[in-house]
Amino acid sequence: MAAGAVAAQPPLVSVSHLSKTYATRVVDDVHLQVLPGQVHALLGGNGSGKSTLLKMVAGVVVPDPGGTITVGGAEHPSEAHSPALAAAGGLRFVHQDLALVDQLSIAENVGLASGFPRGRTGLVSARRLRERTAQALAASGLDLHPDTPAGALRPSERALVAIARALHGSRGLQGAQDDDGPLALVLDEPTASLPVDEVDRLLASMAALRDEGHALVFVSHRLSEVTAVADHVTVLRDGRVADEGPAADFDEARVVEAMTGHARAAVHHVRRPAPTGATGAPRLRATGLTGGALRGVDLEVRAGEVVGIGGLAGSGRTSLLRALFGDLPATGAVELDGRPLVLRSPRDAVRAGIALVPEDRLREAAFLDRPIWENLGAHRLLFGGAGSRLVSSGAAERRAAPGLVRRFTVRAPSTVAPLGALSGGNQQKVVMARWLSTEPRVLLLDEPSQGVDAVAREEIHRLVREAADGGAAVVVVSSDLEELEALSDRVVVLADGRVAAELTGEAVTRHAITVHMQGTTHRNGAAA
Amino acid sequence: MTTTDPSPRTEPRSQPRRAAAEQVTADRHARRALSGLGERYGLLLLVVLMAVVFSVLPESGEAFRSVANARAIAANQGVGLVVALALLLPLAAGHFDFSVGAVAASSSLVTAALSAQHGLPLMVAVVAAEGFGALVGALLGWLVAYLEINPFISTLGAATLLGGAIFAYTGGLQITNGIPPQLTAVGSSQVLGVPVIAVVAAAVAVAVWLLTARTAFGRRLYAVGSNARATQLLGVDVRRTQLLAFVGSGTVAGIGGVLLLARQGAATSDSGMSMLFPALTAVLLGTIVVDLGRPSVPGTVVGILFVAVIVSGLALVGAPAWVSPVFNGAALLLAVGFARLARTRSGPGRSGRARRA
Repeated sequence: MAAGAVAAQPPLVSVSHLSKTYATRVVDDVHLQVLPGQVHALLGGNGSGKSTLLKMVAGVVVPDPGGTITVGGAEHPSEAHSPALAAAGGLRFVHQDLALVDQLSIAENVGLASGFPRGRTGLVSARRLRERTAQALAASGLDLHPDTPAGALRPSERALVAIARALHGSRGLQGAQDDDGPLALVLDEPTASLPVDEVDRLLASMAALRDEGHALVFVSHRLSEVTAVADHVTVLRDGRVADEGPAADFDEARVVEAMTGHARAAVHHVRRPAPTGATGAPRLRATGLTGGALRGVDLEVRAGEVVGIGGLAGSGRTSLLRALFGDLPATGAVELDGRPLVLRSPRDAVRAGIALVPEDRLREAAFLDRPIWENLGAHRLLFGGAGSRLVSSGAAERRAAPGLVRRFTVRAPSTVAPLGALSGGNQQKVVMARWLSTEPRVLLLDEPSQGVDAVAREEIHRLVREAADGGAAVVVVSSDLEELEALSDRVVVLADGRVAAELTGEAVTRHAITVHMQGTTHRNGAAA
Repeated sequence: MTTTDPSPRTEPRSQPRRAAAEQVTADRHARRALSGLGERYGLLLLVVLMAVVFSVLPESGEAFRSVANARAIAANQGVGLVVALALLLPLAAGHFDFSVGAVAASSSLVTAALSAQHGLPLMVAVVAAEGFGALVGALLGWLVAYLEINPFISTLGAATLLGGAIFAYTGGLQITNGIPPQLTAVGSSQVLGVPVIAVVAAAVAVAVWLLTARTAFGRRLYAVGSNARATQLLGVDVRRTQLLAFVGSGTVAGIGGVLLLARQGAATSDSGMSMLFPALTAVLLGTIVVDLGRPSVPGTVVGILFVAVIVSGLALVGAPAWVSPVFNGAALLLAVGFARLARTRSGPGRSGRARRA
């Protein structure tokens, strides 16, 4: 990387002795320098202080007095920093949810963020807004029409549009300063919601911005992205800088050690040589599943086996899980322990002992406003547990909750706190515990560790292994190839709604999955 | 990211630190529980306070304190409570039902028409009224749950339609002749000094409480109200649950209609919309009692008491007619705003995180 050559330049953003105290000190005496022409990765577990640090740099959260913040060459005491100063100093932010309104066009989204240009009459000029948006898109190398609704964009395009808006959106607006100087762009988990095949496009754009001389600060949970694109790494733990240095010197072990504070025990998982089912009779067998994106998929999963499902977005990964859970009308046959299973609705699946941990935890699994114990016991509470008790106070579920919290290593202040008070990783563990405590016969997991930190991810992986060891047949869909490689006994790769490949044993590698994910075109090429 | 919610992290490696942390957590919980008590039972305290004030005020004191007034309040609000309970069921599942007043009024008319004008036995008329309420509820539930029509629109539409039908049938006149005396006796008699209407309303309240708080079905109702999609993926038939909530609502409103007829001794041409707002006020006031943000039977009872004490007290004080609605409206706005603030305060950053979803 070009780190040596640019080291002599003054930093675009520099903070020193920056602290923030709420009830406890969440950011403690942090120093950070962001140089132009560098991608600076900011890592840390949930609760490490990343968000607070970024909010202080943005001027949204007022830091404790005593530190200094320097943006755009002007140093001021930390408590005097403000969003206006941050913007004037060339700082631009793209938040995790991107803040795009799906129903509005790209141009209108740009207008919302950086102001609507006015025409001669004093009313908003749609023409000028469109021109300005077109310029911003062109400057970012995006071949998109300003009138395209944001909701119609691909996930990576959404991220790129948000970045283009942050960098160029205010150009040409009265009162806005010229954007020609290098900017410092802060991206909060830009890849968290992207399918794996679109991540590369975003990472390439980030590299291009760096080469133009801009600085990028980027928060991510995916270590592979950090090693792919970052020049410099800072790891926070408990509000302090736990480790930092050139990205080239970091590997996964060093990052995890910095995040957790202790060296990671060697990975326990040894891929088992063959399916453990003595007779080899499958727990779950699906034949010719067709529906949604599926075009005739066969799948067999044995008890105690973890089968990974790989594939690009649209390959049928999620459709497969939905079909197996009765949430997507599909034709084809499903058998459970040799008996045919009719799946008209999730109800049929749950009754048969199939559990689904969905991808979108907030919308599809969490009761954020309800106490943790209710979330844990949801299944028993909603169905009256064993035997249909007319009068149940929920006392049994309430009593069982602390034990479940310990067993599934959920970090929670108490089990009567609402689920929304927990971090994402711990919410995910609650959702998993909800199902695992019912000892399902089949466990379906859709992106089980998306958006959680590295430590929670390892704990979730451990829970998945334990469920399999306990006799469940497990199906894991993940766009995270490291996860598929680490978890699966066997990986089924889908492409265009069909099974493109099945990998077992030593053949389960990131490389092999990637090759087969490309699907028909690739295979045709190989066959030709 | 929990940076905005600095919960103490327990360190498994150091026992003393862990113990200290747990102590801190326990203290915080104790304090929170105490302030939570004030938040949860604040409305009840306010009801008691208002009752004391009206008992002491020279203008209203003597009359307000009297047993007769307590009986009048209980009998008058018995009908209101049942209508509010009808509203509670769909609201627990996340849907407003604006039709409960109209269903009660039309059930009252069905009972009167069948017994007084068609000479059917009282029991048959009552069962028919219940069936009518359940049928209207089933239709609304089908519109809302299966055709996915906005419940505001469908229940408001049904209420308007029923109000018009009532007027068409009665021609604007009351049905007073031939109402079975057994029924009107219920409206005016007492058991052990308590009005029978209040006893029936209390029985309905206990039944609805058992249904919502102590059965799996009740938990499904609340779960659907909290996150319908997540409930569906837990294997619950969400549409059926919503449909049944409206059927329950219609049935309970039907009971309210029969009680209304018993209390008034006549079926009027009123559309019943005047019963809607007090019911709505009571249920929503009740969401700041017991379990913040969630409609409940005990909360609704306290809400009804609040409305009842205010209405009665202000009438006895001789306040002008506009004072009562102004007071009720203001109380509702304050209560809901207060509940919102209490929830934000009890968890810094929680609501923010929830919103990020």
